[in-house]
Amino acid sequence: MHEFSIASSLAETLLDLAKKQGSTKVLEVYLKIGKLRVISLDQLTFSYEIVAKGTILEGSRLTIEETAGSVKCLNCNYTDKFEQEDLSFHFGIPPMICPRCGANLILEGGDECLITKVRMLAPSTVAESSEA
Amino acid sequence: MAKHVDVVTSSEGEVFDVELEVDILKENQRLANENRARLESNGVHAIDVMGSVGSGKTSLIKAMVSQLKKSFRIAVIEGDVTTTIDSDLIASEGVPTVQVNTGKECHLDANLIRKALDKIALERLDLIFIENVGNLICPAEFPLGSDRRLVVISVTEGPYMVVKHPMMFLDAQVVAINKVDLAAAMEVDPNKLRADVARLNPKANTVYTSCRNGTGVADVVEKLGLNRR
Repeated sequence: MHEFSIASSLAETLLDLAKKQGSTKVLEVYLKIGKLRVISLDQLTFSYEIVAKGTILEGSRLTIEETAGSVKCLNCNYTDKFEQEDLSFHFGIPPMICPRCGANLILEGGDECLITKVRMLAPSTVAESSEA
Repeated sequence: MAKHVDVVTSSEGEVFDVELEVDILKENQRLANENRARLESNGVHAIDVMGSVGSGKTSLIKAMVSQLKKSFRIAVIEGDVTTTIDSDLIASEGVPTVQVNTGKECHLDANLIRKALDKIALERLDLIFIENVGNLICPAEFPLGSDRRLVVISVTEGPYMVVKHPMMFLDAQVVAINKVDLAAAMEVDPNKLRADVARLNPKANTVYTSCRNGTGVADVVEKLGLNRR
């Protein structure tokens, strides 16, 4: 359940951001999370609801975009999309050996864990006119 | 003095978007970078020891400490949910030990390590072992600031530990397959586990160990680059 720690960290960042923007209500939060992260999106959403309770985040919706990674060979530039290799495990990563030249592959992308957009209620604008 | 203030409130439904690109776990990463810098400025190497529950992380650390304590000034940070059983075991080797109890969390994080480092005289050290909470999933998401990673699994957990938890092995420099003396009884083929690691991370060094009879401990030490100062 490390998703709870992640949700707490997310909430802290959002509260900080809302404060800076002067907003009193966060409505929607857009995240980008890579498929290679060990993060359960259901648990993250559930934890977020709990952490958000009683704050200006309460009731805000998480919209999560999942990003896939790719493998790349540094030797011959072979690239391929990251595919789940063995669905019986629900998760797997491809052999990290280049099928073309046999060199080691590296993973690229698929490890994002980002807040990309926050929709919030506009702050009340206070215009002060002095008589000087 | 008369002074009037015009207040304009946003009407309901008036919303705005803030576009950004902020890492959700940036705070942990920031603290991990700080820990790393602090360790480096004191010339201290830190090894993050991760692995499943009961795989033998503590036993392997104890065996390495026993072998290395004459040539290195060592401290050990022991992460667990609760109790001081592991740190008591390591302290019997006569090296400074800090127990970090996470309470409910399934992993250590950079902030807990920062606090643990406060309790250690870093200027009088060469090497720190950090034993993470037994778990092959969560700790992968929380870098601590160590400069090397050792993953410990054992044959008693069955033949699928590596394929089921691929992320844990991607950044490991050394993987210890422990309790190899029990492999035949468990009907688990250590060569298969080694091949699984090699598929995921061809650069990792896999070592067969048995902390009970000392098999492979010197090899792990060497593969971690600790055979000499």
